[in-house]
Amino acid sequence: MTPAEIGATHAPGHAPHGDRAHAHAEEYQPVFTGAARAELDALLTRYPTRMAALLPALWIVQRERGWVSEGAMTEVAHVLELTPAYVKGVVTFYTMYHQHPVGRYFVQVCTTSPCGACGAEDVVRAFLEHTGTRELGVTSPDGKFTVIEVECLGACGFATPVMVNDEFHESVTADRVQDILSKLE
Amino acid sequence: MATLTVNGTDVTVRDGATILDAARQIGIDVPTLCWYPTLPIVGNCRVCLVSVEGSAKLLPACATTAADGMKVTTESYAAVENRRGVLGMLLERYPAERIDERGAQNEFERMVKRYGVSVENRSGLPLRAGDDRAGDPMIQHDMSTCILCTRCVRACADIQVVGVLDVAYRGDHAEIIVGADGNPEHAGCTWCGECVRVCPTGAIHDVLPLAKFARDAMQKPATSVRSVCPYCGVGCQLDLEVRGTDVVRVNSPWIEEATPNMGSTCVKGRFGTDFVLHRDRLTTPLIRKGWVKRDGRWRYEGDPADVKRWGRRGGPWRDIEGESNTQKSRPRINPLRRLPTVGGPLGDPRDRVATPADWYEPFREGTWEEAMEIVAQELTRLRDSHGSDSLAVFCSAKCSNEENYVLQRLFRAGIGTNNVDHCTRLCHSSSVSAMQRAMNTSAASGSMREVECESDVIFLLGANTTESHPVFGAALKRAQRRGAKLIVADPRRIELAQRADIHLQMLPGTDVALLNAMLHHVIHLGLHDQAFIRERTHGFDEVARAVEPYTPERAETISGIPAHLIRRAAELYARGPRSSTLWAMGLTQHRTGTDIVASLLNLILATGMIGRWGAAMLPIRGQNNVQGASDVGAIPMVYTDYQPVTDPSIRHRFAQAWGVPDERLSLTPGLKVTQIVTKGSPVRGMYIMGENPIISDPDVAHAEEWFLGLEFLAVHDLFLTETARYADVVLPGASFAEKDGTYVNTERRVQLARKAIPAPGAARGDLEILLELSNRIGLPTPFSTAADVMEEIASVTPSWRGITHARLQETGGLQYPVEHATHPGTAFLFADRFPTADGKATLVPVEFLPPAELPDEEFPFWMNTGRQLYHWHTGTMTRRSQGLDSREPVPTVELSPADAAEMGVRDGDAVRITSRRNSIEIAVRLSPRVARHQVFVPMHYREAAANLLTNPALDPYAHIPEFKVCAVRIEPVAPGRHRALSVERIEPLVPAD
Repeated sequence: MTPAEIGATHAPGHAPHGDRAHAHAEEYQPVFTGAARAELDALLTRYPTRMAALLPALWIVQRERGWVSEGAMTEVAHVLELTPAYVKGVVTFYTMYHQHPVGRYFVQVCTTSPCGACGAEDVVRAFLEHTGTRELGVTSPDGKFTVIEVECLGACGFATPVMVNDEFHESVTADRVQDILSKLE
Repeated sequence: MATLTVNGTDVTVRDGATILDAARQIGIDVPTLCWYPTLPIVGNCRVCLVSVEGSAKLLPACATTAADGMKVTTESYAAVENRRGVLGMLLERYPAERIDERGAQNEFERMVKRYGVSVENRSGLPLRAGDDRAGDPMIQHDMSTCILCTRCVRACADIQVVGVLDVAYRGDHAEIIVGADGNPEHAGCTWCGECVRVCPTGAIHDVLPLAKFARDAMQKPATSVRSVCPYCGVGCQLDLEVRGTDVVRVNSPWIEEATPNMGSTCVKGRFGTDFVLHRDRLTTPLIRKGWVKRDGRWRYEGDPADVKRWGRRGGPWRDIEGESNTQKSRPRINPLRRLPTVGGPLGDPRDRVATPADWYEPFREGTWEEAMEIVAQELTRLRDSHGSDSLAVFCSAKCSNEENYVLQRLFRAGIGTNNVDHCTRLCHSSSVSAMQRAMNTSAASGSMREVECESDVIFLLGANTTESHPVFGAALKRAQRRGAKLIVADPRRIELAQRADIHLQMLPGTDVALLNAMLHHVIHLGLHDQAFIRERTHGFDEVARAVEPYTPERAETISGIPAHLIRRAAELYARGPRSSTLWAMGLTQHRTGTDIVASLLNLILATGMIGRWGAAMLPIRGQNNVQGASDVGAIPMVYTDYQPVTDPSIRHRFAQAWGVPDERLSLTPGLKVTQIVTKGSPVRGMYIMGENPIISDPDVAHAEEWFLGLEFLAVHDLFLTETARYADVVLPGASFAEKDGTYVNTERRVQLARKAIPAPGAARGDLEILLELSNRIGLPTPFSTAADVMEEIASVTPSWRGITHARLQETGGLQYPVEHATHPGTAFLFADRFPTADGKATLVPVEFLPPAELPDEEFPFWMNTGRQLYHWHTGTMTRRSQGLDSREPVPTVELSPADAAEMGVRDGDAVRITSRRNSIEIAVRLSPRVARHQVFVPMHYREAAANLLTNPALDPYAHIPEFKVCAVRIEPVAPGRHRALSVERIEPLVPAD
């Protein structure tokens, strides 16, 4: 059976989730079509079971959509022949999968002890101010930024480290913040 | 084998047994929370930790294999202190105050009491939350009492193989979730209630115990009565929780290996028994107005005005059909969203599909004396004036063996006719005729557990098991998970077809071509079992010649299944090594039903896939007692145990047993259902017990005409059914919970159901009614209880010889043949020989013949009919069950999205389906399960009766009609008419915010 057909497994008597679940709500657009599908198919060849590809599949979703919605969890479940509840269990166990939409730029500032000693608090404050998000975890009104504090980013020698999406900045101080942000479109 | 000591007592256990098994074997109760029978062992709750000599730390009893020489102490100081500690920690997030207030109410609280644990410090964490399924009509969650034992998660994933539930979030935020979005529907929930069964705290509970409608009863003490589910042929054993005179809840046994379900149920068994308490239950006999008694005789002197108004009988169909959805009073909002309330703003939900008030109008309430007098008088009058064969009886696959036996005895010995039949005719009669011809048997050769645990390949044909027999469907999914290969032949892409290793998606009714081609391929590869063929069968060479022209390519052109799939399936099946073969209505309900089953039997016999443990032949029976009713002689050709009525020596035996002269019993086989209800049948009077032919017969509009012309009709049922509207006398019977009796499931297991509550009002036990009637028409009955009847059945039924109620009570059920009073029953048959004269089976060559009616220009669609998960047959019971009805409230036709797009109809639109015989209006459900140009119409709805459309073409041997194929056309009628109902149903139960 092909993964796309698994959909119907989950609702005996009825059309699969994709067809009916969002009949009224906004139509859910599947992630795994075209290139993303091809990427996943290539991934699957590297694992012994479909289940084993769950974490990378979720990464693809997060990269494509910015976050992992409940609809996407269900889609991943169908594609990998898992149950939606199982996928949600995994998504909610890890902190790095976003369960809510975040800004286009997701800023993670390390505030663990060494960084704290080197002024990480100020860096956080500067990010909150210059991005206009004002609060940790809140997305700026223009949808561009979300800032959070994280535990150790593993660069204590270069405090304060900051990650903007996948980009790593070392030895960030409050006055460098504007410079970092200005390089983002 | 290991011998160990538990609390100073020696115990010997089988290899692989755990310390827990050892302790329970000698009656030592080690407490457990996460452990549950048949669930995978996770060992996460830590309350079963015990001391083992030589081990520095405590060991989990549930997860530690018992070893020789172990010395185990279950209640050592360390073990008890640990247990108290664990329970104490669980209590920190549990509403423990209520334990003191109202005593221990559940498994967990009883354990807390037992160890005298109290809350010493609150952790400061709030009570646990989780998805609550608000508004769900059957199952709800109150996660404040959840202790995260994960029994529900494992029960859903590993027993039912659905996987709705899981644990999400981490640390102290961990909670039980429902699917990804809290909506059980999106997660594939089937509302089986397995989670309710296993929950030790009531965090997951049933909201629709029948208590909803019997609040006073809940104050009374509870007792538990073992019964058998009244729905399908799996024969699940249930425990009815009785308070006062009401069944308030269905539990299921903790576990018993001997029961077919081992405690599992499906949604119908657990939540579908509130029909018993439905206000529509008949409580007094009803007599058609116009019957009057003059000079000691009853006569029909209907007022001409009344006759004009009502007709001589009920109906007509146009009135029934006229009660379309729009005219019926229904809640305007989604019933799932509201808690069921009695007498709320929407009125009593039980009225939604109630018997319309005007159906009662042609009747008056009568006394039992009057009703029985009329029935007895009319039966004897017709017998004496028009001959015995002017009368016929429909027994019931829903009634017990004892009742069916007494009823066929009454008609055979009291009236003198063999016109005795029941709905097996519409069900597995073609299987029976083919199996009788091939190997002189009429039932399954193996057992369900055997298929689940032993078969290497499972070949399932024309059976939507996960919906029609859900508990067995789950067993098949477990079998597949164990490693068994699954081949499914079905025109629809049903759940098991999607899971199958090979899905043979054929055009309806082309099974012979498929099966002949499979055999063709098997023979060509030399995979047939030559020793088996030589030693145990006749006729292989003829069959080999007959299948020679059926190449897989030819079968592909006929059936539409790719030839390479046919080849693969044939090889997989023949290589086994142990292949089981299961089939149901998809094979039998064709005008070539007997041929189709015969071609399947050829394949079974040629590959030797029978008579070995793990290679079972299992026609899956549809009703709780369709097997039993046939076994005790409720079919026209045979007495009990399929002893032919045409044999004078057998007749002599039965005449002796029943105390009548030989001549009273007819040597002519009687008429079958489809021969009785047809133009020109000699039958003038009928007695119908618990059947509803007005919905279940093919082309019912014609059937109705026939019923209108009857001279006398007595109907014996729970409700004023569609059929009862045509009756002269309606006798109120008893439901399954209101009587003792035995039922036979699909694997020949005779099981005993006990009376739990009294029948309502003046309604009487069915056996009591039949015994009185028998006495009144001059056939005395020496019985007073069902147990007495079983004694007589056993005395005239060789394969039931060792069956008594007492033994059934003791053993929890026996699989016949049970040859003597200590015989343990027979789980599988035909190890050495078939029950034929020379012990050999016969292969019968068959040729493919297309269905009687094929799509054409005018009627371009294939129509298929069948069952849905939430409803049952003519809906008499399930449509009066609130939970079930709220899940599936309107009749829907499954239409493929491509066809719908072509016609411009959307989900929920009303369409008119027209066949050559009639037409119905029905809501569309888009479903990729059906192939293009095929539609599936469920059979349950009187307002859109599939059988108005079906083709009454009959199988020449079994006289089973072709329910599964007819040609129809589909026209959109009212866009959006049903959208509100059919689409709303699938909206999230919990609003997204």
